Amino acid sequence: MSESEMTVGIGHGPSMEASPFAIPSKKLAMWLFIMADAATFAAILFAYGFLREASPNWSTPFAFSPTILNGMIMTVVLLTSSLTALGGVQAAKAGNKSSCMRWLGATILLGIVFAVLHLREWFKMFDEGWRLFQNPTGGSAQFGAAFFSITGLHLLHVISGVVAIIIVALGYNRGRLDAGHVETTALYWHFVDLVWMFVFPLLYLMNAH
Amino acid sequence: MSQPESNQTPSMAFYTVVWALLIVIVGVEVLLTFRHFPSRELLAYLLILAFVEAGIGVMYFMHLKYERSILFWSVIPVLLFVFFMMDHIWPDALRIEHLRVVHW
Repeated sequence: MSESEMTVGIGHGPSMEASPFAIPSKKLAMWLFIMADAATFAAILFAYGFLREASPNWSTPFAFSPTILNGMIMTVVLLTSSLTALGGVQAAKAGNKSSCMRWLGATILLGIVFAVLHLREWFKMFDEGWRLFQNPTGGSAQFGAAFFSITGLHLLHVISGVVAIIIVALGYNRGRLDAGHVETTALYWHFVDLVWMFVFPLLYLMNAH
Repeated sequence: MSQPESNQTPSMAFYTVVWALLIVIVGVEVLLTFRHFPSRELLAYLLILAFVEAGIGVMYFMHLKYERSILFWSVIPVLLFVFFMMDHIWPDALRIEHLRVVHW
């Protein structure tokens, strides 16, 4: 009995209420998780704004090159990975396994590129003396705390998203998972991209020279 | 009987156009940053553009535009309400700046 048949009570056994959202339960669960995660990121971004407002000596250390330029490249990479994830979902829905694998492979690769660029930037900042509570420019020591915690939380989401896409891609290729799983994972990936649309302007552009 | 999930799916060409639009918005954000606006004004511009990007991402990339409207109304207004409630912390942030430090 398919999921849709169960929800409309077709077949033997107790009938279940029809879902008002008309989407698979795993997709609804992902939307609920996204709502909770969005509130988490909103809270941490508001906390950053709070710290910034309350600090008279907040630093704005980021030059266009290399930091803002690197951030722009990371943004383009992440946006492109969302596009390739969409290609994977479309191919999965059309039942085209090989095409889906190619699209998801591109998404995974772009996600890894984003993570590498991000870590490279972090290590460069460590070399300059930036730490969680250390500011080499002499400004507010909370700059590091805000920057590394927010970008670190986002990077954690990126890495876990890459792992999830790898698992789902392998499962779909082996026939154990279906297009719905690919779509649900892509939904998470788009959310990670969406969060970056706020992190980049608030943390990078607002702290540009 | 509930209707099946929406089968409307734009083409990759359409998604590519949306992708290009998002990149243009990012470019505009960077350009505005280096126009030396006062920081509060810049913040307003960047937040507006970020919300536009988020709206485009949610409606098209996350497919919310093509789902049943009840999903939109269940997800978006409550999130906006949460953001609105979080937006009431600023008087405390400004007050902290002027608190006197007492040396014991």
